[in-house]
Amino acid sequence: MDSELFGGQAVIHFKDETTRRSFLRTAALVGVGATLAGGATTAFAAGPEMASQFGDGDVGVLNYALTLEYLEADFYAQGTAKDFLGDNKKYLAPIAQHEAAHVQAILGTLQKLGATPAAKPTFKYPDGTFTDAMTFLKTANTFEETGVKAYHGQVPLIKDGAILGAAASIAGVESRHASVLNLILKQKFAPAPVEAHASMDEVVAAVKPFLGA
Amino acid sequence: MTNSSINRRSFLKRGALGAGAVVSGEAAIQLLSTGRAWAAFGSDADVLNYALTLEYLESTFYEMGNAANVITDATEKDVLATIQQDEEAHVQAISDTIKKIGGTPVAKPSVTFPDGTFTSRDSYLKLAKTFEETGVGAYLGAAGSIQNKDILQAAAGIFGVEARHAAAIGYITGAAPEGGIYMGATETAKQPADVLAAVMPFLGGMPSAGFPPRNGNPDFLAAGAGAGLLAGAGLLVAGLRRRAAAAETE
Repeated sequence: MDSELFGGQAVIHFKDETTRRSFLRTAALVGVGATLAGGATTAFAAGPEMASQFGDGDVGVLNYALTLEYLEADFYAQGTAKDFLGDNKKYLAPIAQHEAAHVQAILGTLQKLGATPAAKPTFKYPDGTFTDAMTFLKTANTFEETGVKAYHGQVPLIKDGAILGAAASIAGVESRHASVLNLILKQKFAPAPVEAHASMDEVVAAVKPFLGA
Repeated sequence: MTNSSINRRSFLKRGALGAGAVVSGEAAIQLLSTGRAWAAFGSDADVLNYALTLEYLESTFYEMGNAANVITDATEKDVLATIQQDEEAHVQAISDTIKKIGGTPVAKPSVTFPDGTFTSRDSYLKLAKTFEETGVGAYLGAAGSIQNKDILQAAAGIFGVEARHAAAIGYITGAAPEGGIYMGATETAKQPADVLAAVMPFLGGMPSAGFPPRNGNPDFLAAGAGAGLLAGAGLLVAGLRRRAAAAETE
């Protein structure tokens, strides 16, 4: 999946994070072949407005985000309700609160926009998720890194400035979560100098195993 | 097209932020209030020069701090080395991008840090946390002014990594999870005027005496070398002040 993280927008693929990090040391933000910055208006094909299983436009993005936040919120609520996480629980309990707050905020936004929020999915988790701390932490780490990539994948697609700001303000918190989980797991807390991003299709594929009990 | 395709017209329509017209509702208002904090910059190059100044400050800070050898713990050393690399990569990428879009990168500012900043782990990490939180707020506060979608994507990507840095420093210093590592369920945007006030004490002070060598990165060195440090900082500060004043009168 990593080689595809830059999805349709990207100009270059990296075989791994080390390559990407070293590339970024010498390349401009707008990268090789990205001609939008040069003033071209058709550097990327202007296709139809985003339409997906989650709906059109910003409402679609919000429902997509809502679905991911539902998953995270459910996961952390279950995990932090139990007593198997030891000292690390103190880092995870706030995350549970954040994800629940994200769900409420996105729901409120959708309702105010007059849109129908996506239904809360049912979830399933591998055996041991809520009994083995390492399994839980690794799954949490996967969810956070996926969430970061998901939000960053939508950044260029969100049309409304306020919704963009809100999504970014959530994405930053997901980055903090990812950072802490990486440190707990003794992994690189910031795999690259710039967050990666993933398309909706890639993210949906990644979380599909957890949807639909 | 896939959902990754870029629709330039649609993002050009994004201009009037009008957050109040979009949402209210208790949770949503709080969430979306970040949008209203977005400042106006004249151009993407302006935003990038604003970011570049902060990245110069951060990268120099970590270069000096890591060279001072006050960190002994291996994990902490590794975290700080990564942050330094990231900030240097940000300086380079932003400088290159400004040139690419036809702008002129600001000169590397001269920076100064209070006595004692690099003489103890605690003082070093305390200021590091301040800089990272300032950076997070600054990027979020400026994001809405960015017109070009690629630049927005990249700036958001840097913003997220600054948030990782902030959390990591909170974590290694044993800060409270909420309020020390995480700063709530959403990040808070900072206005340029507030960012400026926070970083002014560190800009435009003593010239570059005492800067450590930058290990083995001549490209990075070249990006900032040769500029009149004090002159550059003066221009920069004047520009930031103008911009901050303009933002405040809106």
